[in-house]
Amino acid sequence: MSDIQDPLRQQETPKAAFQQIFIVWKPHIASLTIGIIFSLIALALGLTLMSSAGGKIAFAAMGMLVISSVFLKLLGGGRLLMRYVERLYTHNVMFKAIADLRVWFFAKLSKGAAAGLGFRHSGDVLSRLVSDIETLDGLYLRLMLPFAGSILTFLVLAFVIGSVHLPLAFCIAFLYILAGFVCPLVSALMTKKHGQTILNSVAQLRIGVLDFIQGLREIRAFGAEDRITALLDAREKKLFEKQFKQAKIIALMSFLSFISSQVAVLLILAAALDIGFHGIGAAHIVVCLFLTITAFEVVVPLTKAGGLAGQIINAATRVVGVNKGHGYDVPKGSEEAPEQTDIELNDIGFQWNKDRPFVYRHLNLKISQGERVAIIGPSGAGKSTLAALLLKVIAPQEGKITLGSKDLAVLTEESVRKKIAWLSQNTHLFDDTIRQNLLLSYPQATDDELWQALSEAAVADVVKAMPDGLDTWLGEGGIKVSGGQGRRIALARTLLSKAPILLLDEPTTGLDADTEMEFFKILNQISTDRTIILIAHRLTGTEKLDKVWRLSDSCLICEN
Amino acid sequence: MQNNKAQIKIWTKLQTKTGKRSVFPMVILGIFSSFIAVGLACCIAQILGMLLVPSLSQSIGFSPFMLLISFVILFLLKGLIVYSEDLIATKIGLKARHRLRSEFVQHIMQIGPSILYRQSGGGLASLVVDQVEALDGYFSRWLPASILWFVSPCIILVCIFFVQPWAALVIGICGLMVPIAQAIFGIGAAVAARQQFLAMTRLQARFLDRIQGIATIVLAGRAEDEAKKIAESANELRIRTMKVLRVAFLSSASIDCAMIIAILLVALMDVQHFTSVGGEHTIPVVHALFALLIIPDFFAPLRSLALAYQDRAKLAGAAASVVELPEVPKKSESDHIFNENNSIHITFNKVSYVWDEKRGNAIENISFEVAPNSTAILIGASGAGKSTIISMLLGFIKPTSGQILFNGIDLITIKHESVSALTAWIGQKPVIFSGTIRENILFAKPNATEAELKKAVQGAAIDQYLSALPNGLDTMIGEGGYGLSGGQAQRVAIARAYLKDAPLLFLDEPTAHLDPVTEQDIFTSLIQLSQNRTVILATHSALGQRLQGKHIQLDHGRIIAETEVE
Repeated sequence: MSDIQDPLRQQETPKAAFQQIFIVWKPHIASLTIGIIFSLIALALGLTLMSSAGGKIAFAAMGMLVISSVFLKLLGGGRLLMRYVERLYTHNVMFKAIADLRVWFFAKLSKGAAAGLGFRHSGDVLSRLVSDIETLDGLYLRLMLPFAGSILTFLVLAFVIGSVHLPLAFCIAFLYILAGFVCPLVSALMTKKHGQTILNSVAQLRIGVLDFIQGLREIRAFGAEDRITALLDAREKKLFEKQFKQAKIIALMSFLSFISSQVAVLLILAAALDIGFHGIGAAHIVVCLFLTITAFEVVVPLTKAGGLAGQIINAATRVVGVNKGHGYDVPKGSEEAPEQTDIELNDIGFQWNKDRPFVYRHLNLKISQGERVAIIGPSGAGKSTLAALLLKVIAPQEGKITLGSKDLAVLTEESVRKKIAWLSQNTHLFDDTIRQNLLLSYPQATDDELWQALSEAAVADVVKAMPDGLDTWLGEGGIKVSGGQGRRIALARTLLSKAPILLLDEPTTGLDADTEMEFFKILNQISTDRTIILIAHRLTGTEKLDKVWRLSDSCLICEN
Repeated sequence: MQNNKAQIKIWTKLQTKTGKRSVFPMVILGIFSSFIAVGLACCIAQILGMLLVPSLSQSIGFSPFMLLISFVILFLLKGLIVYSEDLIATKIGLKARHRLRSEFVQHIMQIGPSILYRQSGGGLASLVVDQVEALDGYFSRWLPASILWFVSPCIILVCIFFVQPWAALVIGICGLMVPIAQAIFGIGAAVAARQQFLAMTRLQARFLDRIQGIATIVLAGRAEDEAKKIAESANELRIRTMKVLRVAFLSSASIDCAMIIAILLVALMDVQHFTSVGGEHTIPVVHALFALLIIPDFFAPLRSLALAYQDRAKLAGAAASVVELPEVPKKSESDHIFNENNSIHITFNKVSYVWDEKRGNAIENISFEVAPNSTAILIGASGAGKSTIISMLLGFIKPTSGQILFNGIDLITIKHESVSALTAWIGQKPVIFSGTIRENILFAKPNATEAELKKAVQGAAIDQYLSALPNGLDTMIGEGGYGLSGGQAQRVAIARAYLKDAPLLFLDEPTAHLDPVTEQDIFTSLIQLSQNRTVILATHSALGQRLQGKHIQLDHGRIIAETEVE
C-alpha cells in the first residue's frame, strides 16, 4: 500500500494554534503564572545557596567568617522544599489544562465529524488525541518554565558579575546567551521540520499497525503476512531515520552549549590567575565561579528541551487543525425545530465536492407527518446522502429543505437531530455494555423501556439468554454478538429514542429473510404516530407503506 | 493473577538481560567521564587554591598555564564523550524498539485473527506503536544509568578518599542514604506506575472506540455527554499520573537533600579546619576545595537514575500488556504442505465449537461432506453458526472438538500458509486498507497483471461505479472505505477473490449489502467463479438459497436438513 498522501495537511499556522490553545487554557492562566513564580523562587534559592556556600569557603580560607552557617542551612532547606512544591504544583496545573484540551478536542471533532471520519483515519485522530496533546504539556513544563528560569538566571548573573567586573560580565553574558538561548533556539528551529515529519511518521506507522490488526483476517486469508511485515518495517525505518537525524542535531547543539559553559568557567579561572581580566578580589572570583557553574547547569539541558519545541509546535498545529478542510458548509441556524414535522425537499441539487458529479439535481420530495415512506434505489445512488441532508450534516448547494415548513438552514442542528432518530449501515456499537449502548439515544430510559425497545427490535430473547443480560459487554465493534444481532441492538437503540421521525437507512442489512420479515411486521405495528422513512435497496413486500419513492438518475419518482 | 505476576517478571528479566548487553559502550564512556570529572575538579581546585592562598603557588608544582590548558583539554574530551553518549543511546533505543516491535507483530500474526475476539484492536495497536516507542528510554537511559549509578560514584569516592579521607566518609554516607530512600519510595512508585499504564491503555481503547463511532454519538445528540465522560477519564488519568510523579519527585528530592547535606557538611567542616587553629590550616585548601567541587559529579549518576526511573516503570507497564497477549498456539508436529492444484474434498467430522462456556455451543456436533469441485450452501438465521463454520475453515479459530479434514488430512496439521494459498474468501464486512482501490484489490495478488486486474474488476462489477470516482481505480479510500458505500466496499472484496483464483472458495454472506439487481449480477459471476472449485457459501439471501448444490440448513448450531438442489 502506498503512503497516505495528505491526511494531515490541513493545519493551522503555529501562531493561530497557540492562540487557540491559550484560549482553552484561559481558566488556568492564573495557576500557570503562580507555577512560574514558584519555580523562579526555587531557582533563586538554589542560586543563592551555591554562591553563598562558595563565598563562605573563600572567606574562611582567607580567615574570615562572613556568612553564617544557619543562613546556609535555611537556604538549603528552603531550596529543597520549594523545589518539591514547585514541581508538584506546576505538573498538576499542567495536567488539568491538558485534560481540558482533550475535552475541547473531542468536542471540536464531534462538530465536524457527523459525516463520518472520511479521509481521516481513526488511528491518526487517536494519535492527535493521545500523544500530540500529551506532547503539549512540554510547552509549559519544558519550555516556558525553564525559559523564565533562564531569564532570571541571566539577570542575576549579569548583575552579580557586572558589579564585580564589567568586561568579564560581558563575556560571561555572551556565553550564557549562546548556551542558554542561541543553542536551544537553533535546535528548536532545526528540529521544527523534523518534528513535523516525525509526528507524521508515527501517524503513518500507527495507521499501518491499525490496518494490520483490523485486517488480520484478510491478511491470513490472502497469505499477506510477509508483505505486511515488510510494510511495517519500512514505515518504522522511515521513522527511525528521522528520529536519528533529529538526535544528531540536538546532540551537536548540546555539545556547543556545554562547551560555552566550560569556556565561561575557563574565563573566571583565567581571571583567578590574573590572566585576561585583572584586579578582581579572590572572594569575588569564588562567588562568581560558583554562581556561573550553577547558572550554566540551569541552561545546558535547555538545548535538549529546545529540540522538543519543533515537536510541540507541530503537535499544536495538528491538534488545533483537526477539523480544518473537513467542515461541510452547513449554515448555522438559531431557531428551534417546530412541533410540526412535515418534510419537504424543493429542487435540491447536491455534490460532495466540486470535482465530483452531482448526486442529485432537481430533486423533489414531500413526506407528511406520520407518513410511512420508503426511498428505494441501487447501491451508490446516494440514498445515504439523502439521510445526511435531512440530518443537517451537509447542506444542499441548490434548493431548499423544510421541516414543518421552516427552512432547515435556520434551525439548530441539535433541534433537528432531536426530531430525527437515525439508524444506518454505519451505526457504531460501542465497546460497552448493552445497557450503555442503548442509553445513548435516551439516557433517562428505564429497564422496562429498554426491554420494550429490544423486543421491538426482535432481539430481547437473545439478550435475555446472555449471561449478564443488559449488562453483557459488547466487544469492540460489538464483535461478541453476531452481525445480525448487533444490527438489531442498534435498531433497538434507535427505537428507544423519542424522536417523531425515524430515519432507517437499510435497517435490515445483515438480517436473514425470516428475521427481516419479522422486523417489518413489528415495525408495522408500532409507532403509529411517528413518521417513518425507510431507505433501502429493495422492498420485501412485508412493509406497510404509504408511499414508495424510487431514486433514479439523481431524482426521485413517486410510485404509490 | 499470580501467574500473571510471574510472567511479567520473566518477561521483564528477559528484556533487562537482552538490553544490558548492548549498553556496554555507554558504561565505558560513563566511567571515563567520571575520571574526567575528577580531573576537572582537580584543575579548578588547584587554581582556586593558588588564588586564595598565594603562598601555595610554589608548592603545587604546576604552572598556571599548564592547569588552564589541561582544563581545556579535559572539557573538550568531556564534551565529545557527552556527544557520543547521546548518539549511542539513540542507536541503542532504535535497535531495541525495532526488536520489540518485530516480536510483537510476529506474535500477533502467529495467533492470527482469533486474537480480535479476545482483545481490542485499539489496545493492540497501542502496544505495538506507543508502548514500544515509550520503551526507548528504558534501553537508552535506564539500563546504562542502572549500572553507572553504582560504578561512577564509587570511582569518585575512591579518588576523594586519597585526597581527604573523612570527606569521602561523609559523602559516602550521604550517598548511601539515596538508595535507601529510593527503595522506600520506589516500591510505591512501581505499583502506581503500573496502574497508570493500565489506565492509559484502557483510556486509549476508549478514545479509539468513541472516535470510530463519533457519527453515532453526534447524531444521537450525545456529544456533550460523551465529552463529559472523556473529561472524567482524562481527570482520572491526571490523578494517577500525579500519584506516580509525587513519588518520583520525592525520590529526586531525596537526592537533592543528600547532596545539599553533603555540601554543607563538607563546607562547614572545611571552614572549621581553616579557622580552628588560629589561622593555621590543618588541611590543604586545595584538598578541601576538590572535595567540595566533586560532590555534584558524585551525585549526578544517582540523579540520572532517578530521572530514568519513569522509563523503568514503562517497561513494567508494557509487560502487563504483553502477558495479556494469548500464547502462540503450539505447532502441530506434522506440518503438511498442500499442492496448489489439488481438487479438495472437505469433511466435517463431529465438529463442535464453544465461544464462551456460559453461552453454550455455537456449533454442535456437525458432520457433512463437500465433494471436490462442488458447492455447499449453509442456510440459517443469523446466529445459527454459519460464520463460525467459515471461520473454522479459514483457520481463524480451531474446533473445540471434532475434526475438519481436507482430503482426509486434519486441517489443524496443515500449515496455515498452504491453506491460505488454496483459499479465496469473501467476508461479511471486508476490511478496506488505507490506500487506493487498485492497491486494495491487488492485496489478494500483488504481482497480478493488468489484464487479470481488469477481469477481476469486471467480475465484481466494480467498473459500474468506477467512472463516478475522481481517480478511477487510483482513488484513495480511507479507513472503513470513505467514498465507497457498503455495497461498493463489498465489491472490492469480491474482486480480491476473483483475482486470487484459488481452488477453494469460502463465501460468508457475500451479497449482504447489495441491491437485488447487483446481487443478481454478482451471483451470476460467483456461479461462473465457482466452476471447478470447491465452494462453501453461507447465505440467507433468497437468491442464494435457489443456487445449485448441497443445501445445509442450520439452526442454533445444528444441522436440521441436508438436501441436494439441482
